Amino acid sequence: MRPYFEKMTSFGKELKKGAIKRTEENVQAFIEAEKEIDAAVDKVKNAGFSTEKINARGQMTVWQRLEYLVDEGTWRPLHTLYNPADNVEGTTNVIDGLGKISGKWAVIIGFDNKVMAGAWLAGQSDNILRVTDLAKRLNLPLVWLVNCSGAKLPEQETFYANRRGAGAPFFRHAELEQAGIPILAAIYGTNPAGGGYQSISPTILFAHEKCNIAVGGAGIVSGMAPQGGFTTQMAEDLVVKAKENRAKPPGSVKTHYDATGFFRYVYEEEQGVLDGLKDYMKDMPAYNPKFFRVAEPKAPAFPQEDIMRLLPMEPKKVYDFDEILARLVDGGEHSEFRPGYGPEVYTGLCKVDGFLVACIGNRQGYLGKGYPEYADYPGIGSKLYRQGLIKMNEFVTLCGRDRIPVIWFQDTSGIDVGDIAEKAELLGLGQSLIYSIQQTDIPMMLAILRKGSAAAHYVMGGPQANRHNAFTIGTAATEIYVMHGETAAVATYARRLVKEKEAGNDLQPVVDKMNELAQKYHDTSRPLFCAKTGLVDEIVKLADLRKYMEAFAGSAYQNPKSICPQHQMILPRIIKG
Amino acid sequence: MSEEILAPLSGKIVAINMEIGASVEEDDEAVIIEAMKMETPIYVPCDGTVKEIKVKVGDSVEEDDVIAVIE
Repeated sequence: MRPYFEKMTSFGKELKKGAIKRTEENVQAFIEAEKEIDAAVDKVKNAGFSTEKINARGQMTVWQRLEYLVDEGTWRPLHTLYNPADNVEGTTNVIDGLGKISGKWAVIIGFDNKVMAGAWLAGQSDNILRVTDLAKRLNLPLVWLVNCSGAKLPEQETFYANRRGAGAPFFRHAELEQAGIPILAAIYGTNPAGGGYQSISPTILFAHEKCNIAVGGAGIVSGMAPQGGFTTQMAEDLVVKAKENRAKPPGSVKTHYDATGFFRYVYEEEQGVLDGLKDYMKDMPAYNPKFFRVAEPKAPAFPQEDIMRLLPMEPKKVYDFDEILARLVDGGEHSEFRPGYGPEVYTGLCKVDGFLVACIGNRQGYLGKGYPEYADYPGIGSKLYRQGLIKMNEFVTLCGRDRIPVIWFQDTSGIDVGDIAEKAELLGLGQSLIYSIQQTDIPMMLAILRKGSAAAHYVMGGPQANRHNAFTIGTAATEIYVMHGETAAVATYARRLVKEKEAGNDLQPVVDKMNELAQKYHDTSRPLFCAKTGLVDEIVKLADLRKYMEAFAGSAYQNPKSICPQHQMILPRIIKG
Repeated sequence: MSEEILAPLSGKIVAINMEIGASVEEDDEAVIIEAMKMETPIYVPCDGTVKEIKVKVGDSVEEDDVIAVIE
């Protein structure tokens, strides 16, 4: 299949002087917006005790552990700003992402030991479940840096119980192991109760000599049966017991290495534990990339910095999606699927780091005379029409058949509406695309370049595709909502306006409410909100988009459960004709 | 030799980014047309001088209307 993939069709063109000149303001707008994201990330990184304070206790912070563990330049953080319960700590207290360890991709997660010694907080189990879903979808080892002091007791009602509560990850660990996905755990510090199960549920336990894991920690062991309240004498007794237990907490290395043997390995040094993980990762199942590569990796043909000029921050401005894609894929090369059909959507095969990936993205702007063919109104990109939906259905189905991972790029305002569109079967074709995605078993990632809106956000490989969407990234220009805030205000208050008008009342109070609603939509659709609430898994700088695509492609091809031999693929032949 | 800039779609002119007599380069943004809630920039097709601008902000244009002439 070398003739199909070694040199594919070139696309994209160098930016002209005029384009560079007129986009300077856009570049500055992106730089400012990305600074705002950086500031929020720094806040999470600096949550809790200082690095110096943790180091003074003889411990590394979770960030230092990650830096030591992960191969240089391969860390792709996810969920950094995720804090769905709005914890005062500003974090769910786990740090996770994709990274290479000893040359192999892994999903990596660790408790932030700077914040309440890695306590369970609200929203944390949802974060962990996203991570276990990721390991399952990409069939990657899950690597844990456990350092968990157990539940933040004064707030236990917000996370301890419930269907997706703090115990759910332990079941999910079992599920991963049953699916043949190994979980390696480095264990540090004191891990009582919940922390104990965080430690025991992985597959192989690498322990630091000062760690302990237990059903109940010193705090509980020091306790007593409830007696209807507390007295000073009881408090005095507690002081004595707590001192004893603190000096000798349950579940130390002496118990769980020497007696139970739960710990497979024990290390004197903090870094030694991580060296143990690194050593084990060398033996994790993984194909050599050459097994799946269709060509030698190439850098994109044009500078990725151009993307800051090509993607307008202003949501009403149109742009050329193909030019952005040409700056993200190997060599600015592709094989486009059905180029003359469904012009509002790009579908094509590209290479990322030498791996074959399928790319799908919304095109923008006027779609030309006579399109959509079923209507007497003009078609404009970012919206989906009949042909585009049919094309995506075909493409996704063929990608499933050929086992080609899919990268979606959304900037969509929705699916065409109105009775004419209904007659053109768009409602049915949108759901058909969902059926087509669900019919496949291939990993997908999604980049929401700008708008993710209406049902198009679902059908175009949105995170709602739980079984397929490995992760979703956004940019500093991302906005996600069911519809634009002003459209929503009209939909909500139009009737009310008519009533007030007919009654001869002042319209201003309703107008104020409309403006309020539009503002609320704005505030709850911006990148920081999307990241905090988990509408995206990370907000990524435009300069880093390709890095996430490389991580996705490398991970998807590291150890796939199902293979299509390159010479038996049908999609490249259909494109060639 | 002169070249016309035509409106590729019908809509409203919301910005004019050139002046009569000014030098322009290929791919400079000439005007912006708003249609279907989106702003579509129309680019200068060649290097030259703006000879004529036939629209003003707020005008409605039809497809293939002449927007400007570049000489």
